[in-house]
This record gives sequence, C-alpha cells and structure tokens, in this order.
Amino acid sequence: MNDSSWSIFVVLCVLVSFIIVGLRQKSRESLEYGFGGRYTGRIGGGAAIASNWMSAASLMGLAGIIYLQGYQGLAYVIGWTGGYVLLLVLLASQIRRFGKFTAPDFVGERYGSAAARLIAAVISIAIAIIYCVAQFKGIGLIFSFMFGIDYEQGVMFGALAVVSYLVISGMLGVPRNQQLLYLVISVSFIVPLMWLARRLGYFWLLPQFGYGRAITDLSREFSIDFTAPFASGSLFGWCALCFTLMVGTAGLPHVLSRFYTVPNIRDARWSVVWGLFFIALIYWSAPAFAVFGRLLEAQQGVMLPPAAARSMADIIVLKTAVLAGLPGWLVGVLAAGALSAAFFTVAGLLMTGAASISHDIYYSMVNRQASESARMQVAKGSTLVLAAVVLLLALNPPGLIAEITAVAFALAGNTIFPLFLLGIWWDRANRQGAIAGMLTGIVCTFAEPLLGGALPQVAAFFPITSSALCGAPLVICVMIAVSLGTQAPPEEMRRFLEQEVHGHLD
Amino acid sequence: MSHPDKRHQVNLFRPKKGQMRDEVLIIFAILFGWGVCTFGFQVLVALCQGTGAGSLLTRLTLFNLPLHFWFTGQFLPLWFIVLCIAFNLYIDRITEYHSRRRDRSYE
Repeated sequence: MNDSSWSIFVVLCVLVSFIIVGLRQKSRESLEYGFGGRYTGRIGGGAAIASNWMSAASLMGLAGIIYLQGYQGLAYVIGWTGGYVLLLVLLASQIRRFGKFTAPDFVGERYGSAAARLIAAVISIAIAIIYCVAQFKGIGLIFSFMFGIDYEQGVMFGALAVVSYLVISGMLGVPRNQQLLYLVISVSFIVPLMWLARRLGYFWLLPQFGYGRAITDLSREFSIDFTAPFASGSLFGWCALCFTLMVGTAGLPHVLSRFYTVPNIRDARWSVVWGLFFIALIYWSAPAFAVFGRLLEAQQGVMLPPAAARSMADIIVLKTAVLAGLPGWLVGVLAAGALSAAFFTVAGLLMTGAASISHDIYYSMVNRQASESARMQVAKGSTLVLAAVVLLLALNPPGLIAEITAVAFALAGNTIFPLFLLGIWWDRANRQGAIAGMLTGIVCTFAEPLLGGALPQVAAFFPITSSALCGAPLVICVMIAVSLGTQAPPEEMRRFLEQEVHGHLD
Repeated sequence: MSHPDKRHQVNLFRPKKGQMRDEVLIIFAILFGWGVCTFGFQVLVALCQGTGAGSLLTRLTLFNLPLHFWFTGQFLPLWFIVLCIAFNLYIDRITEYHSRRRDRSYE
C-alpha cells in the first residue's frame, strides 16, 4: 500500500472502531446512566473536557499559525489554556449551582427575557457555524491530502462523510466515548512527534521539551530566528489575541455545558484541572511540529514565499511527517487523530446548533404547541441546513483554521462571557443590560469589517480575531450602565443568586 | 414596601462575610497570578527589547530554548495548572471549614 492508501485505511479503522466501541458500551450500560453517560471520575471527566475541546484548530491550526508566526503564534497556546483558569475561578462552580448549562437557557432564566434568550440562541448558532467552518477547512485539507484531490472537492467529500457519519451514529444510537476519543487524539498526535524527533536526532522521549535544539539549529545553520518576540505582530496584537481567546474559552457554549455530566461541584472543579493538563499535553507538542516543519524545509532547501507558506500552513503537521519520511501508516495515524477531533467537534456543534434552532427558536418563539416529533424533525432538518451553510462558507475559507476559530472565540468573549460573568456575580444586571450588552458585543466583534472603512482608528482597537481585549470591558460597562438606568431584576432572582448560587453553605 | 437594607445583594467587589468573602479573596489572588505572569511578562519582554535586560531574556536558555520562549510556550501552561490546583485546594479547605462552622451553629 502507498502512503495515501495507508492514511485512508487507518482513518476508516479509527472511525469504525468508535462506532463499534460505542455500540458495545451502549449494550453493556443500557440506559440506566441517563443522558450524561457513565460517570468516570475526575480523570475521566478531565479527559472528556479535553476531548470535547480538541478540534482541527488544536491539532492542525495551532502548529500552522506557530509555523508562520513563531513567537506571535504562542498567543494561541496561552489563550486556549489560560481561559480555563478564568472559567474555573469565576464561573464553573457557580454555573453548576445555577443549574442552566446552555447559553440561551442561562440567559433566558437569569435575565427573564424571551428576547435576550433569542439573541443568545442566535449568537450560539453563529458561534457553532464559525467554529464548524474552521473544522470543515481542516477536514477538507485532510481529505485533499489523503485522496490527492482539490481542496474544494476535499471539503465536499468531507462534508458528506461527516453528515453520513452523524446519520449512521444517530440511527444506531451510538454514545460518544469521550475518554477513548481523547486517548486516540493524544496518541495519534504525540507518537508521530516522538518518531519525528527520533528521526531528526533530537530528544524523543519528551519531544515537547526536546525541540529546543532544533530552534538553535534553525538559527545557527539557516539564520531563521523562530523565537524573536513580536516579530510578526505587536505587543498589543499578542495581548489582544491572548485575552480574546481566554474570555472566549470561558464563554464558549459547548465548553460551559460540560459541567452537566459531573455529579458534584468538587469533582467538576477537579476535572477542570485534569482537563487542562490533558489539553496542555497537546499544546506543548504543537510548537514542536512547527519547528520541525521549518527545519525540514530549510534542510531540504524548500523556501516558500509568504503566500505559499500561508496556504499550506494548516496542513504543516502532515507535511512535516511526509518531509521527514515517516512510514505511511504513521502519517495515517496522524491524519486519523486530527480527522476524529474535527469530526466529533462538528458533530457536537451541529447537533447543539440544531437543538437550539428547534428548542430556543422554533418551539419557544414560533410554535409553542409543537409536538416532540415535530421538534425532532425541525432539529434534523436544521442539522442539514447548518451543514450546508458551513459547507458554502468553507469552500472559500476566509483565513487560517486558527484565525477562523479565533473569530468564534471573539464573539463568545464579547457576548456570552460578560453575560455569564455579570449574571453570576452582580445581582443588579437586568434584561435591558443583557440585550444592550449582547448587541454591543456583536458590533465589537465585527467592528473591523463593519467600521474599518469609515472609522479605521476605532476598528484598529477591535481586530477581527482579537476584539475582546477592548470589546469585553466595553460590553461590561454598557451592561452596567444600562442595568443601573433601568428597573432592577425581580427580587426572586436576586434571592436565588444570593442564597442558592453564592450562599450555599453560610 | 421594600427594605433596601434587607434586599438580596450579590457583588464581586462587596462579598458577604463568610465563605463568599474567602472565595472572592482567592479568586482575586489567582487572577493576579494569572494576569501578571501572562500579560505582565509580555509587557516586560516588549519594554526590555533592545536593552541589556532584553537580551538577557532572549539569550539565556532553558531546555535549549530562549528564556522568554520557554516561559511563554512551556512554563505558562504549567503555571495555569498550578493556579487551578492551588484554587481547588483552597476552595476545598474553606468549604470544609465553613461547613464545620455551619454545622456547629445548628447544634
């Protein structure tokens, strides 16, 4: 078999094994564990958080952006790990006590407003679509790499494969085994990296910490300074991006909803620590792929012009493996890990988005008498419509995988994060404040394309991938001002916040 | 008639006495450690560029990596994990302390 055939074979084996393991797990556990599945302890909870988090952005986009930007790209590593600190200390326990785990549910309940709930639902769906576009780009690139076809064809085949997989899993009722998924993703990312480090003659047992010598070699032999601070951007750009990704992490709907499956608050808190550790294992590895990629290119005399480097940055992980002459089956393993992460992220987001359309928009706003089966039909139809919208956007992707994902984080950080933060920590925040805050957040997120022509000085403070450094504080100020200028929320909600959410033991 | 002094109040900057105050204290301590190491360090790197201190930051190496790159790319994710562990240990401790106090008050 040649390299491509191996890749396709390994990918197929991995995807089919998820279905088989899922079906075995289902028959063993029956339905007694309910919606959340079997409780697997703090470490299992952490692996579930990490696998839920891992996507094409982590496994492909991160290495790509660091390959292109060096030190500037580390803002993604820090933003996507540091956000969990914010989530843990400010929101995790309190959201668990509040008892609402989707953004529209929380907003609807806390602010007591159907309009606010609708806006939150639309924002959640927009976040899911933007996030999925990045995943579809990753899937398209892997398909075009495996089958040797154009990117556009790759995206279309990839979309077809994702939807088919979703339908088959849905028809068979396969539960997702999050722990197995994390195991597959981490092994398929780290083992090829170890192989790569060994092949290149660097410390391979812990390649995450052994790539330093490769950076020195790049600098000495080829005069490529990979580590120069702020060489591909500015201090403001670095901090704005990092902060945006952090608040976005703490406001991302599918991250917040993870706390639902953990039975008590203490375990929920500790599973965040384990989750962060598992995520960090991958994030310590991604820069190594980027550095090895640069080194191999330099050694083989491949010096790409900036535009060409940018167009292949997102596939650098696989390109590096091929350049280093890794065996075909190992390249297949690498592709299978990234593809699994992208597949399950898309599946989760499309289903969540479709459920939001069916419940928060169709049932709550359009037809209160809708039967269960009618709502299910709407959800199924919405999944296909969302997939089609994502496919159309992904055919001509507006940026790198990490950059597209960052826009979803910016939207979450500018809208949902302030709503959760003030909703939990300030009893006086009310529905008018919430609506004004969300609308301001939307404008801040898209200020660069909206205002870039007319007010370039203002738009400069709200870069499209990094708008939350200025946006989130502005939204918080707007929410406070509007809330103070309008009627206070009902006393019952304030009592609930004081006694149930914060007064748990006193 | 409403009683302004009796109304329910939740404010991060004016926590109630007891567990909430302890919780808010640790939240601010962790956020301080999070903010200073993440953004403070980047500001330091930018300010020191072109100076002797700057070349110290970029030329000193750890695990063969320049100090600033090692700090950002490898130490900070580890630091976040340490912060989360410290937060959880402290919250576990104050939760136990306050639940013991509460239980005694019912005796």
